[in-house]
Amino acid sequence: MTPTAAAGAMRMRVPRLALGPIMVLVAWQGLAVAVPGDFLVAGPWEVAGHLWQNAGLYFRALQTTLAAAATGFLIGNLLAVALAALALLLPRAEALIAGLALLVFCLPLVATGPILRVLYGPGTGPQVTLAALAVYYTTFVPVLVGLRATPAAWLDLVRSYGRGRFAMLWHIRARAALPYLVAGLQIAAPAAFLGAMVGEFTGAERGMGILTLQAMRGLDTEATWTLATVAAAVSIAAHGGIGWLARHALSEPPPVLLAPPQTGSGPGLWSGLRGILVVGVVAIALWWALLQIAGLNPFFAKGPGDVWAFLVSGPGADENRATLLAALAETTGALGPGYFAGMAMGAALAVVVTLAPALSAVVMPVAIALRAVPIVTTVPLLVLVVGRGPVGSAALVAVMVFFPTLVACLYGLQRAPGQVLDVMASYGAGRGKALLYARLPAMLPAFFAAARMAVPAAVLAVTVVEWLATGRGLGALMAVSASLSDYGTLWSATVLTAVLAALVYGIVARIERRVLAVFASEQAQ
Amino acid sequence: MTQFGLTRRHVLGAGIATVGAFAALPRARAQAQTPLRMQLSWLHSVQFGGSYIAQDQGLWEAEGLSVMLDPGGPNAPVEPPVVSGQALVGISAADYTAAAVAQGAPFKILGVAMQKNPFVITSLPANPVNEPADLVGKRIGMALANTPVLQALCTLNGVDIDGIEIVPTQYSAEPLIAGEVDCLLNWETDLPVAMAVQGVDSVTMLMADHGYALHSQTYIATEDSIANRRAELVGLMRGETRGWDIYRQDTDAAADMTVARFPDLGLDPEVQRLQAARQVPLMFSDLTDEHGFGWFTEDTVAANIETLALLGQTVTADLWDRSILEEVHAS
Repeated sequence: MTPTAAAGAMRMRVPRLALGPIMVLVAWQGLAVAVPGDFLVAGPWEVAGHLWQNAGLYFRALQTTLAAAATGFLIGNLLAVALAALALLLPRAEALIAGLALLVFCLPLVATGPILRVLYGPGTGPQVTLAALAVYYTTFVPVLVGLRATPAAWLDLVRSYGRGRFAMLWHIRARAALPYLVAGLQIAAPAAFLGAMVGEFTGAERGMGILTLQAMRGLDTEATWTLATVAAAVSIAAHGGIGWLARHALSEPPPVLLAPPQTGSGPGLWSGLRGILVVGVVAIALWWALLQIAGLNPFFAKGPGDVWAFLVSGPGADENRATLLAALAETTGALGPGYFAGMAMGAALAVVVTLAPALSAVVMPVAIALRAVPIVTTVPLLVLVVGRGPVGSAALVAVMVFFPTLVACLYGLQRAPGQVLDVMASYGAGRGKALLYARLPAMLPAFFAAARMAVPAAVLAVTVVEWLATGRGLGALMAVSASLSDYGTLWSATVLTAVLAALVYGIVARIERRVLAVFASEQAQ
Repeated sequence: MTQFGLTRRHVLGAGIATVGAFAALPRARAQAQTPLRMQLSWLHSVQFGGSYIAQDQGLWEAEGLSVMLDPGGPNAPVEPPVVSGQALVGISAADYTAAAVAQGAPFKILGVAMQKNPFVITSLPANPVNEPADLVGKRIGMALANTPVLQALCTLNGVDIDGIEIVPTQYSAEPLIAGEVDCLLNWETDLPVAMAVQGVDSVTMLMADHGYALHSQTYIATEDSIANRRAELVGLMRGETRGWDIYRQDTDAAADMTVARFPDLGLDPEVQRLQAARQVPLMFSDLTDEHGFGWFTEDTVAANIETLALLGQTVTADLWDRSILEEVHAS
């Protein structure tokens, strides 16, 4: 940032700090007045009153859930950084690590929740685990991108001193990855809180998730909105705190990344297929081994053999397959529009906020709130606005997808090297030109990282929407089969969900490799 | 039952037998309390008021038991902890238990807390559903998973289900109040109570009054537990029986006790009192007055088997086992 730009930003910050929240509050109060019926929206005034009267209750609930969320946040992010470093140090294992990380992230809650509860017994074990599971993947992906976002010359310098991969990782790559880690942590903050809340649905005695359930059933709109407000406020604070720390700790401007263009177009079709095969075989072996080690009862813990029998070799396999494939088709149909809408919304908002930074004070709180508030709270409102049809599903998926994209793209746009922007400024290029030729290309690695992260997020969102709002597809099938102890269907649907996510992910990754080979060849190594 | 191979069932049986053996050890010492768990079907509320009374008033302690009550939730099915042996007893319902048994779980129903099924059709007084025929031409909000329930009600009363528009909704009264649907499929003891406390009048049609005979809030245990942990099961059910008899005498006290016991749950005292009173007619009947809490007969079981057949589930009277209750009420 040039000195004048920094001074400008300082001048802007004071009114922005106050104006943004005020605009959000006014819009919210307006919504509460405008929306028909008494049981849909409670305004900030009512929420404040309710919170004041029940401060002790909400404080205790927040303490419980926050503790679980923070523990999960820590474990999940440490795991993500370790996995990313491992993937970089062992390039041969990278596809395997990334593949397994994706598959585990795709496991739907309705399948994992009960198993975690049986494994841990009473306590906050499932809450912490689900919070960690909700965050590790969205940190792993950007950190791996960041570890590669290094100028080739710096790596050459390390090599010329006769040092190896560890030195490169420690001295060069770890530093380069820090801004990407910050993006991952900011995405993780609301996700961890939501994960801990949803973890309470597996049977808990206290916490924000439990209070949300009580409020929904009790038709207590004030309580519902108070819980949503507290959840959003915590996430906004965490997001802001991480950003503040990053601004003070990371003062280095982004370097110019000069990397030699790649000659090939990445791995060929055969080696790609071999990679998928390896991931599949290892995943199945791990699945089998974990069930053996945990000693879970086969009534509800199905192994690879059970799923095979259910779908292929056992009695009634044809019928089972037909049911699942019909549901899969419905889910796939609902997935695409929401995914693209969410990606487009996230990237477009990132561009808007970059061009007009004053808007970020309004955009970011709303964006974080949308991600942090449990979908069970937002579903009734969204259904009222867009209905329960295909548009409704797409809108809900888009809401789940757009936040990680927005955060990742914001960081990406800031990755445009100052030197390049200075050169453009000295030639009198305007903001639009700088955006098109410097910022957007710099954003591409982060954008594609977001596009990949968004795949499992969209798949999970679709299944949640199907369960709560539309009653169709794999999500509804999984909910029904869990309540009827039909664990064969539940595990088969889980496998199909993971395969669907992996497939879409593979397509996105192939497009990414083509594009980045031209615009960010350091990523395509 | 034939879902799993012989080896797996053998392992399962051995596992539960081992747990049983360990659990039996402390009882050799005098005065020692046997710890065990009961898995509830939902979050703590006065729905399980009798159990809290049994715990608070030492009714289980008197039986040599230290009972822990594990709360359920929307993502906490009852069957896995019971089949794993983590919980000795679970609170289920005849249809869920029948489905689990069809999938190979060795469950039996030991007792029936809700003699009448709590499912109702809730509507607003301006556009009421008083009997099943009123459903025709209406939009009903419910989880699609419950379609067989509505189908069974329609078959029992000669109503064409195609004349009803099913809207998949969350379990909330909000779509009804917002006018998105004309009626809801829900429990007598939750959404209508919330509406009443919020000042919204409603009309409820109890499905049990229109032929839908299905035991709810049933106590389930595995066959192995019934064979090897009889004394604990009898003690647990005796405590339950006494707890619920005390509950019935003063439901307000039970509700207030529940609210005080779980200060972190945000329970509304008024809602709990109303819920506590409204579940009494579902739980107690001439049958239970004559034979005791939780009782069932060949006739009520036969009616359940008929309703289950309409739900697409084929079961025999073997699903029920009254031997534990007989011991409880004999003394």
